[in-house]
Amino acid sequence: METTLQASNKKKAVRRGVLIAAGVVVVLLIVPQVASEYITYVAVLAMLYAVLAGSYDLLPGYTGPLTFCHGAFYGIGAYSSALLTMKAGIPFWVALPMSGIIVFLFAALIGYPALRLKGHYFAVTTFFLGHFIYLVILNSISLTNGPMGLRGISPPESVLGIDFTSLQASYYLILTFSVGVIVLLMLFVRSGFGKLLVSIRENEDLAQAIGINTAFCKVLTFSISAGIAGLTGSLFAHFFRLLHPTTFAWMTSEMVVIMSLVGGLGTLIGPIIGAGIVTLILELMRFAPEMRFIIWSVALIAVLVIEPGGLMGLVRRVRGGKR
Amino acid sequence: MSAILEIKHLRKQFGGVVAVDDNNFNVERGTRLGIIGPNGAGKTTTFNMIAGFFKPTSGRIEFEGRRIDGMKPHRISQLGIGRTFQNVRAFRELSVFDHVLAGSLAHEFHLKPSAQQLEHVEQILEWTALSPFRDQLVRSLTIAAQRRIELATALATKPKLLLLDELMAGLTFVEIDQMLDLLGMVNEKMGITLIVVEHVMKAVMAICKRIVVLSYGRIIAEGSPQEITTNKTVIEAYLGEEESYA
Repeated sequence: METTLQASNKKKAVRRGVLIAAGVVVVLLIVPQVASEYITYVAVLAMLYAVLAGSYDLLPGYTGPLTFCHGAFYGIGAYSSALLTMKAGIPFWVALPMSGIIVFLFAALIGYPALRLKGHYFAVTTFFLGHFIYLVILNSISLTNGPMGLRGISPPESVLGIDFTSLQASYYLILTFSVGVIVLLMLFVRSGFGKLLVSIRENEDLAQAIGINTAFCKVLTFSISAGIAGLTGSLFAHFFRLLHPTTFAWMTSEMVVIMSLVGGLGTLIGPIIGAGIVTLILELMRFAPEMRFIIWSVALIAVLVIEPGGLMGLVRRVRGGKR
Repeated sequence: MSAILEIKHLRKQFGGVVAVDDNNFNVERGTRLGIIGPNGAGKTTTFNMIAGFFKPTSGRIEFEGRRIDGMKPHRISQLGIGRTFQNVRAFRELSVFDHVLAGSLAHEFHLKPSAQQLEHVEQILEWTALSPFRDQLVRSLTIAAQRRIELATALATKPKLLLLDELMAGLTFVEIDQMLDLLGMVNEKMGITLIVVEHVMKAVMAICKRIVVLSYGRIIAEGSPQEITTNKTVIEAYLGEEESYA
């Protein structure tokens, strides 16, 4: 009896979640029609960050290991895609999946040895990896044009008569991509594989003892998470058509971590909401760029002290459920 | 009867300390073997080597005629050796059902758990008296229930051999009796071979037909429970000098 009650509650919660998500999507559909160009750009940034934070959550949130290099993977994707189209003349629609695959393989190559390290050691390694990638992008001037930035990236080629040089069309492209990836991420964490990942997070020894190849699962998840960041980077490059190394510096990786913590790690929807909130606050604080680091740090510490589970933890506590 | 597990000249050294020293023993298929011994005798180290968590310094371990020493823990688990840990290990934030399901998925992976799998998990929950708790979080349950969850999860991987490391520690007498019934069923009805490391003597004597006694890494006695309880070397190892036992 209790279980049927819980099941119906669960169903209700799922229905409510779907309704809220549908509402958000509807609002996002209307944005470019009614809002100013500036707000449309902010919405694009929020969506790209939502995908970044959602894909980031796969590793620290669901599998366990903390990383600090998601922004760097985003950067590799952006530069790969831009350079593939500019220097090799490959169309965007081919460069997009290619940049995802390139970052996936790169992360697998790095993750295979690095994920043997545990806890803080792995986290610190990814921190330096992220910075290293930034330095490479910054200093490979002949390839990336270094600190001068990369200009003249082409917009996606038109498909089915849709011309992506217009702001609206590329806005809807990014909206479609974001919704698609987020739905796939949700299916991914709810799948049997997602359950294996959570068991690794909860207790790696026991996970091994019941037959899970934890090393393989961690490397695969790290690479998938990175690959999605790569795809997102590619879209970023061809939407803004201008790349600068600092976009992918330490601050971006840290932003993704902050978004995930604010929203609540290991909930997927939390980091996505966190991305929206943080992007909005960042824009509102544009009048005082120096102040935002201070306000930011204080806010982050406050979240960690008051509710380490982030927003989703707060929601759970308010609902009073045992989960 | 054939041996399911053969331990040959097994040795493990940690720096200058010899934890397990040239041990040999066989485990027959379908039987229940107890390993006892004072603290630090090398019981858990032996388990960790069989399950692949430690690599032996020398010697061999054969499971169903196949050499397994040095293999990774997940490979050994997939071959059919399940284990529980001395200190309860659990996926604390999972529901009881998902915890056991994880064992089933680890053994036979599906992106969407199959109907047979779900049914098998329900059945195991029934056997281990966990059905009433199926939707509760593992961390909210008592030690006794968590130990049963660990056992249930190991059973979900369909093992042929189970290594149970102090499964009774921290349980009340009533809980110990329930666990003994459960282990009897696991062994007799499901045909799973058991190796039990245990400090609760009553439990070892009740379930095991054969007992191996370790002391300082060496096997000092081997035999039936009756033989062990009257063995002079064993009593000395546990209680010290001859005068000290009545």
